[in-house]
Amino acid sequence: MQAEASQISDNDLLRAVSRGDETALAAIYDRYRLILFGLILRILHDRQEAEDCLQEAFLQVWRRAADFDESRGRAFTWLVTIARSRALDRLRAVGARARLADEAAKSPRDDVGDAAEDALKSEQGTIVRQALAELPDEQRRTLLLAYFEGLTQTEIAARLGDPLGTVKTRMRSGLIRLRELLGERSRGLY
Amino acid sequence: MEHQEYQELLALYALDALDASEARALETHLNTCAACSAELAGLREAAALLAHASTPAEPRAEVRARILEDARHEPQGGQPVARTSAKVVPLRPGAVASRWPNVLRLAAALAFVALLTGVIVFWRRDVKSRREIAQLSRQINTEQRELARDRDVLARQREALALLNSPGMKKMDLAGTQTAKSARATFVFDRETGRSVLMTEGLPAPPADMAYEVWFIPKGHAPMPGKMFTVDAAGHAMISDHVPMEARENPVIAITLEPKRGSAVPTGAIYLSSSSS
Repeated sequence: MQAEASQISDNDLLRAVSRGDETALAAIYDRYRLILFGLILRILHDRQEAEDCLQEAFLQVWRRAADFDESRGRAFTWLVTIARSRALDRLRAVGARARLADEAAKSPRDDVGDAAEDALKSEQGTIVRQALAELPDEQRRTLLLAYFEGLTQTEIAARLGDPLGTVKTRMRSGLIRLRELLGERSRGLY
Repeated sequence: MEHQEYQELLALYALDALDASEARALETHLNTCAACSAELAGLREAAALLAHASTPAEPRAEVRARILEDARHEPQGGQPVARTSAKVVPLRPGAVASRWPNVLRLAAALAFVALLTGVIVFWRRDVKSRREIAQLSRQINTEQRELARDRDVLARQREALALLNSPGMKKMDLAGTQTAKSARATFVFDRETGRSVLMTEGLPAPPADMAYEVWFIPKGHAPMPGKMFTVDAAGHAMISDHVPMEARENPVIAITLEPKRGSAVPTGAIYLSSSSS
């Protein structure tokens, strides 16, 4: 199975995982470890924690593969959702949010246009970053705060000192605009 | 809350950014609203792509080994298998069995076989009905998607009509170039909001890996990319888009053939173009 793993669709791999096929789990891991680990690391800012979390996320993929329903969304979305929730749970559990908030205040992280680690960067990543760069700054900022720090609308409003209504509108317009920008273009990504 | 108010919460819900009470209310609505469920699915896909905004990183190789080790020790969907073998106290041979007369032992064996058969029959029936339920729910999903698609088409047509009636409306005719002499198109946009609709006819079907791309060309500036689209068998397409602010004053609108992924600057042949005014 590993030999031709690159040609098997994500959906087929997850179906095999749900039947207890460990090589399929390995193939999913090989395919998505970079993006999922990058995501978790961005949320947790700690390699050790992030590796434990990645392990936890894949254990959940192994246990719950039968719950994946391809009629409701892409496998990529399912995997990313699991990794992000595990990472945010861990973030809340270690109570590191205060620490992160300090860090974020010191150096506002905004990876758009970051030139580091180009070798690992994927084409998809470039397209998403380009689309993000086209959003107005405030929209992009609220989206990234919600996505990578797991903040709610109310928490974001408090953090940025903006009215709740403004934050809601920015997040909503931001995500909808992003979907538009990515919509036609990202069709080639799937 | 009305449908529209719920609809406005979908993007925040897709980002898990709603406060708990609003999230609960929306979940109740989602149970009965196929349109919102379909919209949410799309927004979730978009939100998941935000993962790409982080820098990919390589975990140490041992993480992979640890994950596979975990999987090996845990059967699918169930409880972890004990890592040390369970202590089984062996029966002393003959200690129990010899007290049973042969007839009783036979009866017990038969009863066991009957029980086992029963269990298997029920299990199979259960599997079958589960499969039927799964198939039915897939059917419902397909129908919901089709419904959502129809609504989408309807919404676009409504948008086009609304656009035609708006005060800032501007209509432009696009003519086919040498490459596509029988093609033509109408482009309507609202100078205030930038909302636009493009209707084409007579465009040839693009090759499998290509698609048409819309360009907004502000006077004296570089073309700005719009949406990618393909056409139906008759060369028709109807695309709603958004004209950037910079391109709302007497722009030229052109359509080129580009790789499906889209280009940042036009690279292919021009198929349709408005005349500059």
